[in-house]
Amino acid sequence: MRQQHISSYFISFLMGLLVCVSVDAQNDSIVNAVNDSVKVKQQYGLRVGGDIGKLIRTSIDDKYTGFEVNADYRLKQNLYVAGELGIEEKNTINDYLNVTSNGTYLKAGIDYNLYRNWLDMENMVYTGFRIGASTFSQTLNSFSVYSTDQYWQPQYSSSDAQKFNNLSAFWVELIVGIKVELFNHLYLGLNAQLKGLVSETEPNNFQNIYIPGFNKTYDSSKIGVGYGYTLSYLIPLYKKDKK
Amino acid sequence: MKHYKILAILFGIFTIMTIGCEPDDICPESTPTTPSLIIRFYDISNQENKKNVFKFRIQGVDNDAPLPNYNIVTTDSIVLPLKTDATSTQYKLHEDYTYNDNGTPDDTSDDTIGGNEDIITINYSTEEVYVSRACGYKTIFKNVTLTIEPDADNWIQSKESLTENQSVEDETAAHFKLFH
Repeated sequence: MRQQHISSYFISFLMGLLVCVSVDAQNDSIVNAVNDSVKVKQQYGLRVGGDIGKLIRTSIDDKYTGFEVNADYRLKQNLYVAGELGIEEKNTINDYLNVTSNGTYLKAGIDYNLYRNWLDMENMVYTGFRIGASTFSQTLNSFSVYSTDQYWQPQYSSSDAQKFNNLSAFWVELIVGIKVELFNHLYLGLNAQLKGLVSETEPNNFQNIYIPGFNKTYDSSKIGVGYGYTLSYLIPLYKKDKK
Repeated sequence: MKHYKILAILFGIFTIMTIGCEPDDICPESTPTTPSLIIRFYDISNQENKKNVFKFRIQGVDNDAPLPNYNIVTTDSIVLPLKTDATSTQYKLHEDYTYNDNGTPDDTSDDTIGGNEDIITINYSTEEVYVSRACGYKTIFKNVTLTIEPDADNWIQSKESLTENQSVEDETAAHFKLFH
């Protein structure tokens, strides 16, 4: 009795499956026909630009001078190789120290686009990583000795500039950002960077206060942060179907 | 949905940026910076025992004010800041200090000061050592010598440094013993 029951279920299940498959088959052919007619081509090429944020900061902040060129090259639908090359000079002043850091940096890595564009739009919401390196110098322009006791004043201070040359640093960087196509092939980008210092040459009896490309260092951790506002132009090389 | 996550991460990074700036820019009190000279007073007749100095007043030579916390006190140990912009600091150590303005606070010519004043001279060389971004540099003192300037009636009878070539690099222990 029971076995019969099961087998009748099984048969009706198979019947149902067959019907479904046949209906599916019909649908497939229709969808394919539609898809074929709106195949979207996407632009591949080399995108080069500069950091306008650093340019603006150079003009308004008299303790900062910097410029960065950046480029990315599209490898796959969502994958880009990317890099930045920059030069920075930063004067850091607090109550006890006056330091100028000066140097160049290079960053290279990949960007991965997470954003599924409409039709032929080519905007990006991306995340990626970089490996960064900088060679720089630091000049201790002046300092005054810190003492909790102010019975004798003033404390010793020196304004003989001391220069620490041939400093270098390496770091890794996590980057998130957006790139929006403003006009044909012209992109505006905004990104934020979280950095981790891997190694640095420590100056003798001093510290790296500011590393070009890595930005301000912190005494309490090896973490650094940064941001960028980029304007870039895509040099189109070829087109490929959007997947 | 995905780009909401990105915006959240962006927001997170900017938050770290703003919070991250704060603690590094103030020199914490717990950080050892420029050390002061620590002296302990011992009994001349029983050199193992500490001995208090009474009505004790300390003033730096060339300084108009007494050393804060040492304006007529009873103590057996003192902490003396050293000049970081010189290689010598002098202090007037005054025991049994009394002061009488003879009823004329504005006129200092008839004031009488009682007690016994000894002058000590501390000579040293300085060295600047980097501490941190917020604290900058501290001064440490090397080859520190202490001399009791002789006068007719010295209450400080002898001195002893705790190590050869005494240096003052931290405040963890006394640097000199004075006997009286």
